[in-house]
Amino acid sequence: MIVEFGHYALVLAFALTLVQSVLPIWGALQKDDRLMAVAPPVSVMLFVLVLLSFMVLTGAYLSSDFSVLNVVENSHSAKPLLYKFTGVWGNHEGSMLLWVLILVFFGALVGIFGGNLPADLRAVTLSVQAWVSAGFILFLLATSNPFTRILNPPLEGADLNPILQDIGLAIHPPLLYVGYVGFSITFSFAVAALILGRIDAAWARWVRPWTLLAWCFLTLGIAMGSYWAYYELGWGGWWFWDPVENASFMPWLAGTALLHSAIVMEKREALKVWTVLLAIFTFSLSLLGTFLVRSGVLTSVHAFATDPARGVFILALLCVFIGGSLSLFAWRASMLKQGGLFAPISREGGLVLNNLFLTAACAAVFVGTLYPLVLDAVTGEKISVGAPFFNLTFGPLMVPLLMAIPFGPVLSWKRADLGAACQRLYAAFGLALLLTLVTYWAWGMEKVLAPLGVGLAVWVMAGAMSEIVTRVKFFEIGFKRGFSRLVGLPGSAWGTAIAHFGIGLTVLGIVTASAFQDERVLTMRPGDTVELAGYQMTFEGAAPRRGPNYTEEVGHFSIRRGGAVVAELDPSKRIYTARQMPTTEAGIYTTGFSQVYLSLGEGRGDGAVDVRVYYKPLITLIWIGCVIMSLGAVFSIADRRLRVGAPKPARKRQQSMAAAE
Amino acid sequence: MVFWILIALLTGAATLSVLVPLSRSRRGQEAAPARADEAVYREQLAAIDKELERGLIDTEAAEAARTEIARRLLAAHDRGDATKQGGPRTGRLKLAQGLALLALPVLAFGLYILLGSPGLPDQPLLSRLNAPAEEQSVDLLVARVERHLTENPEDGQGWAVIAPVYMSLGQPKASAKAYSNAIRILGPRQTWLTDMGEAQTIANQGLVTAEARAAFEQAVALEPSAVKPRFFLALALGQEGRKEEAIAAWQALLQGADENAAWVGAARQEMARLTGEVPGSDTLRGPSQEEVAAASEMAAEDRQAMISNMVAGLAERLSTEGGSAEEWNRLIRAYMVLGKKQDAEQALTAALSAYADKPEDLSMIKDAASKLGLSDG
Repeated sequence: MIVEFGHYALVLAFALTLVQSVLPIWGALQKDDRLMAVAPPVSVMLFVLVLLSFMVLTGAYLSSDFSVLNVVENSHSAKPLLYKFTGVWGNHEGSMLLWVLILVFFGALVGIFGGNLPADLRAVTLSVQAWVSAGFILFLLATSNPFTRILNPPLEGADLNPILQDIGLAIHPPLLYVGYVGFSITFSFAVAALILGRIDAAWARWVRPWTLLAWCFLTLGIAMGSYWAYYELGWGGWWFWDPVENASFMPWLAGTALLHSAIVMEKREALKVWTVLLAIFTFSLSLLGTFLVRSGVLTSVHAFATDPARGVFILALLCVFIGGSLSLFAWRASMLKQGGLFAPISREGGLVLNNLFLTAACAAVFVGTLYPLVLDAVTGEKISVGAPFFNLTFGPLMVPLLMAIPFGPVLSWKRADLGAACQRLYAAFGLALLLTLVTYWAWGMEKVLAPLGVGLAVWVMAGAMSEIVTRVKFFEIGFKRGFSRLVGLPGSAWGTAIAHFGIGLTVLGIVTASAFQDERVLTMRPGDTVELAGYQMTFEGAAPRRGPNYTEEVGHFSIRRGGAVVAELDPSKRIYTARQMPTTEAGIYTTGFSQVYLSLGEGRGDGAVDVRVYYKPLITLIWIGCVIMSLGAVFSIADRRLRVGAPKPARKRQQSMAAAE
Repeated sequence: MVFWILIALLTGAATLSVLVPLSRSRRGQEAAPARADEAVYREQLAAIDKELERGLIDTEAAEAARTEIARRLLAAHDRGDATKQGGPRTGRLKLAQGLALLALPVLAFGLYILLGSPGLPDQPLLSRLNAPAEEQSVDLLVARVERHLTENPEDGQGWAVIAPVYMSLGQPKASAKAYSNAIRILGPRQTWLTDMGEAQTIANQGLVTAEARAAFEQAVALEPSAVKPRFFLALALGQEGRKEEAIAAWQALLQGADENAAWVGAARQEMARLTGEVPGSDTLRGPSQEEVAAASEMAAEDRQAMISNMVAGLAERLSTEGGSAEEWNRLIRAYMVLGKKQDAEQALTAALSAYADKPEDLSMIKDAASKLGLSDG
C-alpha cells in the first residue's frame, strides 16, 4: 500500500507539473497576478510529492520489499543498512528519481526564497522549471518506473553493483546531482528572461546565488567522485578523462564561465547575450551528460541503463530543451540592447578573457569526449581519446588562464591601469618566483616544468591573498583598523579570494602529485620490505576475511619510517558473493597533505602478491583545494547584499529610520 | 480503503495548492516587479558609496558608475509605471480553477490506474518471514530458517531441522552440510550420521564415497543394530568390488529382517546381482552403465576419485582372489593412465608371477606391458 502511495505521489506530481507549466506563465503573459501567484505554493507542493515518493522508495529498500522490481534488481537483504539506503540512487531508476527530486527542490527553493524577485520573472521561471520536471517525470514513468511491481516476489535481490558499495555512493551522487541539476534553475531563469524580454543587470543579480549554489555543489561532487575513483579503482589515478567524468566537468567549466560573465552583466550590463547563452549551454551540457550516461552510448560504472528506448527518450528531451531554448534565444537575442562599454584592459576585459579560455577548454573537452562517439556512430571506427589529447589541449589553455587569475580582481571596471595592477601583485609574483627557485634547487633540473607549475600555483594563491591584503590596506592603516576592515569586507570579495586560493591549492596538488610521485610495482612475499620515499613497507602476509556480503583477501602491511611503525595498512581484494564481482580497496596512509597508496594486485598462490605502491606528495591538496573553492562560493552566497532587495522590508526600515530621526 | 482515502487526501492537497492562491486577492503586490529591480539598483548605488568610502575606487569612477546605475534605475521605474495594466479576468480564473479541480485529479488518477498496481500490498521481507508458518511457502520457510542460521550459526537444532528439508527439496549437498553442522555442534547421532552419509551418496549420484562411508561406519559404531547405515555399507562393499564381503554383509542384513520393509527388495536385488555372476566367467565386470553415466556427470576431481576407487577395488580383488590375464592388463593400463608407474610395475611383476606357468597368457601380458612402455625387467 505504501509503495503504491509513493507511485501515486509521483504520478500526481507529473499532473501537477503540467498545471504549473501552464498557469503561471499564462498569468505572466496576461499580467494576471492570481495566476502568477499559483507558482510558489505549487512548486513547494511538487517538492513534497516527489519527496514522498522518494521516501517511499527508500522505505522499500530499507525493508527489502522484493515486490518492487527495482529493489529486487539492486538490493540484497544482507546488504549493510547504509548501502540499502544509498542503493536507492545507485541504479538508473532511483537516480533519475533523485534527479527529479533535485529539479523540484530547486523549484521549491525559488518558490520559497524568491520573494525578492519580480512576480512575473518568478512565475515564468517556475513554469520553465516545471517543463523540465514534467519531461523528466514522464521519462521516469514511461521508460524507467522505479515503482514497477512483481506479483511473486523472490526471496533475495540481485545486490548492488559492488563498486558502488562504498561510503562514496552516499556522498558523491547527491552532491553531484545538486550541482548538475541545480543549473536547471539558471536555465529556467535564462529562458524566462528571454520570454519576458527582461535581461538586465538586475536579472544577473537575481540569478547569482542560484548559480553559485549549483556551482558549489558541482565542485564538491566532482571532487568527491575523483577521490572515490582514486581509492576504489586501485590505479592511484584521480582523474581519468573518462567520458562520464568529462560529462560532469563540462557543465563545471561552462558554469564557472557563467559565474564570471554574470558579474560583468550585473555590474555593467555588458555581456548580456553571452551570459544568457552560457546559462543555456551549462544546463544543456548537464542534459548531454545525462544522455551520454543513460543511453548506453557509453559503458562505464555509471552506465546503469543500456535500454535504447531510454536513450531515444532522453535524446528527444535533449532536442526539445536545447533546441527550444536556442531557438528562443535566436529569436529574442536581437532585441537585446548593448550594455556598458569597456576598454580591453579592465575588469570586464579580464572576465572576458576568463570566459574565452574556459569556453575554449570546455570545447576541447567536448570534442575529446564526443569525437570518438561520433566517429564510431558514423564510420564504425573505434578510437580512444585519452589523457594525451586532453593534456595537449586542456593543459595549455589552463596555463594562461591561471596566470591571469590574480589580475582579475585587482583590475578596475571600465578601464584599468595594468601597471598599477602589477604593482599590487609584486609581492605575490616575488613569492611565486622564490618558490619556483627553491623547487629547482631541491629537485635540480631533472624535472624542468614541474617547478614552473609550483610557481604558477603559488602565484595564484598569493595573488588571491594579496587582493584581500591590498583591499584592507594593512600596511597603510595598521593592524587594528585593518582587521576591522578585513571583517567588514563584503562576502563576495572573500568568496573570490577564497575560491581563487582554492584553485591554486588544487593546481599545486596536481603538479606535485604528478611530477614528484614515486611508484613501484612489484611482487612481494610475506616478510618482504620495499622502500619508497623514505618509508619502509613490510608485507606481513595476507589473510581471508568475510564481510556481510563479500569475502576478501586482505594484505597486511606495516609502514615504517626511521624504524618506527607509523601506520598499518590493510589493502584488500574483494569478491562480492551475489554478483561474483571483484573490487579493490586501496590502503591509504595520509601524512600531512601527502599520501602513501598501496593496492593489491593478483595473488601468486604461494603467499606472494603483486603490489602497487605509490608515494604521492601533496595529493590531498587537489581535493582540499576543491573544498576551499566551494567554501568560496558559500561566502559569496552568504554576502548580505544578495539578500536585500526584497522591496517591502527595505522601505519599512527606511521609514522607521526616518521616524527615529 | 485506507489507501484510497490517502490518495484522495493527497490529490486534495495538490488541488488546494492551486486553488488557494487563485482565490486570494493579490492587489497589494501589483507593483512589486518594478520595485524589485529598483531595489537592486538602489542597493548598487549604496555599494558604490561604500566602496568610495573604503577608497577602493576614486571619485571619478564612482561618479561614472553612479550615473550609469541611476540611468538603469530610471528605466526600471518607467517600466514599473508602464506595467500597471491587465489584471484578473473571471473567465481565465474559471478555466484555471477547472483545470485544478477536474483535469488534475482525472489525469493523475487515470494515469495511476494505467501504471500502478493498486491492489498489491507491500511485502517487506521481514514481515513475509514473520508471517504465520501455514501461510508461507516452503521456500519462504527455508529462507526464514536460513536467515536465522546465518545469524545464529551455532544453533545445532536449527541445522538438524533444515537438513531433511533440503533433502526433500533435492539439495543433497546443502543437506549434508547442514547435518555435518548439527553433528559438529551437538555431537554425533546415529540418525544424523546416516542421513548425512545418505545425502553425500545421493549428491555423488549413488556412489558411496569414502567420506560417506566413514559416516556410516561411525553410525554403526554408535548403534550396531541400525539397519540403514549397514545397508549403505553393504552397497559400498559391492561398489568397491569386494563381492564376498558384500554378499556376507547383505546376508547378515537380511537375516531376520521384516520382509515388508521397503529396503528388503532393494537388498535382495543387489545380492542377486552380486551372486548371479559366476566368478572367473568370460564377462568381465566393468563399471555398470549407471556408474558410467554418473561418472560422466561428475566434476573432474570426483571422477578421478571414482576411478581411483575402482582401480583400488580391482587391485585388491586380483591380489586376493586372482583373476584373468585381461584383468591384470586392465589394472596395469589403469595405473599408467593414472600416472602411477610404480604401482603399474608392481602389478606387472605380480601378474608375471601369477601366470608364470601359462606361456600364452604370459606373452600377452608382456606384449601389453611393452606397448605401455613398461619393461618386464
